[in-house]
Amino acid sequence: MSTPLDRATLQKLREQNPAWRLLAATHAPFIISFLHQAFLASNTRTVSQQALASRLEDHLHEGRSLGGLDLPKRAEAYLDDWAGDSGWLRKFYPMDSDEAHFDLTAAAERAIVWVTRLLERRFVGTQSRLLTVFQLLSSMVEGSEVDPNARLAELQRRRDAIDQEMERLRAGLVDVMAATELRERFQLMASTARELLADFRELEQSFHLLDRDVRQRIATWSGGRGALIADILGERDALSSSDQGTSFRAFWDFLMSPDRQEELTQKLQHVFELEAIRQTAPDPRLRRIHYDWLAAGEATQRTVARLSEQLRRYLDDRVFLENRRILEVIRSIEQQALAFRNSPPSGTVAELDDVAPAVELPLERPLFAPPFVARLTQQLLEAGEEDVASDGLFEQVAVDRARLRTNIQHLLQRQERITLAEVVAQHPLQHGLAELVSYLAVASENRKSVFDEQSSQRIEWNDRRGQTRSATIPLVVFTR
Amino acid sequence: MKQPTTAGDALSPLVISLMKGVMWREDNERHWQQLLSLQARVRDHVAVLGLRLELDEAEGYALLRQRPLEEGDELPRLIPRRPLSYPVSLLLVLLRKKLAEADGGGADRRVVLRREDLVEMLRHFLPDTTNEARLVDQVGSHINKVKDLGFLRPLGGREDEYEVVRLLNTFVDAQKLEELLASYRAHAETLGKEVPE
Repeated sequence: MSTPLDRATLQKLREQNPAWRLLAATHAPFIISFLHQAFLASNTRTVSQQALASRLEDHLHEGRSLGGLDLPKRAEAYLDDWAGDSGWLRKFYPMDSDEAHFDLTAAAERAIVWVTRLLERRFVGTQSRLLTVFQLLSSMVEGSEVDPNARLAELQRRRDAIDQEMERLRAGLVDVMAATELRERFQLMASTARELLADFRELEQSFHLLDRDVRQRIATWSGGRGALIADILGERDALSSSDQGTSFRAFWDFLMSPDRQEELTQKLQHVFELEAIRQTAPDPRLRRIHYDWLAAGEATQRTVARLSEQLRRYLDDRVFLENRRILEVIRSIEQQALAFRNSPPSGTVAELDDVAPAVELPLERPLFAPPFVARLTQQLLEAGEEDVASDGLFEQVAVDRARLRTNIQHLLQRQERITLAEVVAQHPLQHGLAELVSYLAVASENRKSVFDEQSSQRIEWNDRRGQTRSATIPLVVFTR
Repeated sequence: MKQPTTAGDALSPLVISLMKGVMWREDNERHWQQLLSLQARVRDHVAVLGLRLELDEAEGYALLRQRPLEEGDELPRLIPRRPLSYPVSLLLVLLRKKLAEADGGGADRRVVLRREDLVEMLRHFLPDTTNEARLVDQVGSHINKVKDLGFLRPLGGREDEYEVVRLLNTFVDAQKLEELLASYRAHAETLGKEVPE
């Protein structure tokens, strides 16, 4: 099973394996930190091109201005590079979207996880790993045992052990795991749980590969029709009956049961409350890791279902045989076209049916309507003689936003942050509600101000008649 | 005889929208479900007009096509034919090839091509020119033609990425391709050149 690690193999691996190439890339620190942030830190599966490109653009900008990064191209160009030959991203068009989406490839994920491991591990828990190996071995031995007596004997042995433990408890001897043991197990659990999440990506990728393999085998099939059909029927459930498929199914059934989920939630909760674990400040995301499993598993599940469906369709012998005939004809057509490349036919070479019947509805067309012509009558304006109070025209309230901004900036010179109520206390409202609303508008335009919808503030002022008015608004804080 | 259709019948909107154009499942799921259940009646109905219903459940589209004429039938066509110029016909062939290859390649079934890809694809088959800009413009007009025929769909509002619409599979089938090949061969013969098989 194991491949020899000779020089040639490693050389090839270094040139071709995307994971190694990522580690060896000139800008590896930059790329890895970006990919980690975009996909792994948030457990994100797919990101739309636009969202990812704008994040990368920010990242590039930061890198160029701070780190003197030498990456001159635009974000989209890098994404395409990484999705192309580099093999770090997978670019695809989801069925329901017109925008390209990206997902990390399993290889890139492996490289990134490997790098994070360099930083992470604080101590090496050997005992829990040994126990795991032991448990795996004994479950295999037990599971493959066909002799009922041997199985009974094993069960008896376990029952004795349990009886003994119960005796000890009754006698008041309670064994509790030491803090180190707890931490060790927790670490193992955490890394296994995270690896599981990474496995989904790998799983999905290998389903894609499997699918491609089957298709290629069919495309290059040269046997007779009968043999072909037999082969097709054999491959019909190639995806779900592979080792990967079976194991994934079992995992999924296990996870989907509500009892299991309840159990996982409770146990994680319990473990997180243990003093020994709390001291290590565990990653809070681990607490809901099973939901992330569910989400990732569901995505994989969908992929598998979609691939199976498409494969079945492709294997439909009618489609398959036609496709093959079509590729042959197309090859001849291309040859012809190349042959008269410099003197192509002119005019119509063929006709193609339209995609719908032509239904002409002449009367549905709008009838001619004479264009509307505005008629202007000239009328001289004459000075009126009526004596009307024109005060109303001059009493329009105009709030000068520039003045409000200056008020805020002045106050911010003295303190780091200031609430709107404090601003108003220093500079009383001159135009009442209109001015208050302008302040809110100023705040919403300013990116350094914060609205806190949860808490509210009361603001008071006197109107022109001297009456006290008040308004309750969300807490607004301006910062420098 | 069938029941006369009343105004409230679900059949009418279905037949009408089929008469107006291709029906996609993703555009109107409810209509699609109705179409699936009333399929037989729709078929009977359009048969009177010399049409047949073509429905692809897996791809999610339905459309009306001209029914092949039987002996002695003299029905006028309801579905117009669009003339294809040589480069447009060639572009259709190349797009059809892309679809066939995508089927064989697995993974993503949606075939998305950039404008440059299309230009590059067609360039091999067009007369050599030093006027690059003119070539790009010409290909652009062929692309627009194919877009009007309904087999290329611009993605995301920009005119630089196109999805090849799978509808093309039914229109450019083996038979159509043979027909094209024959027409190309005829042209080659008029040139009097020996063409490799």
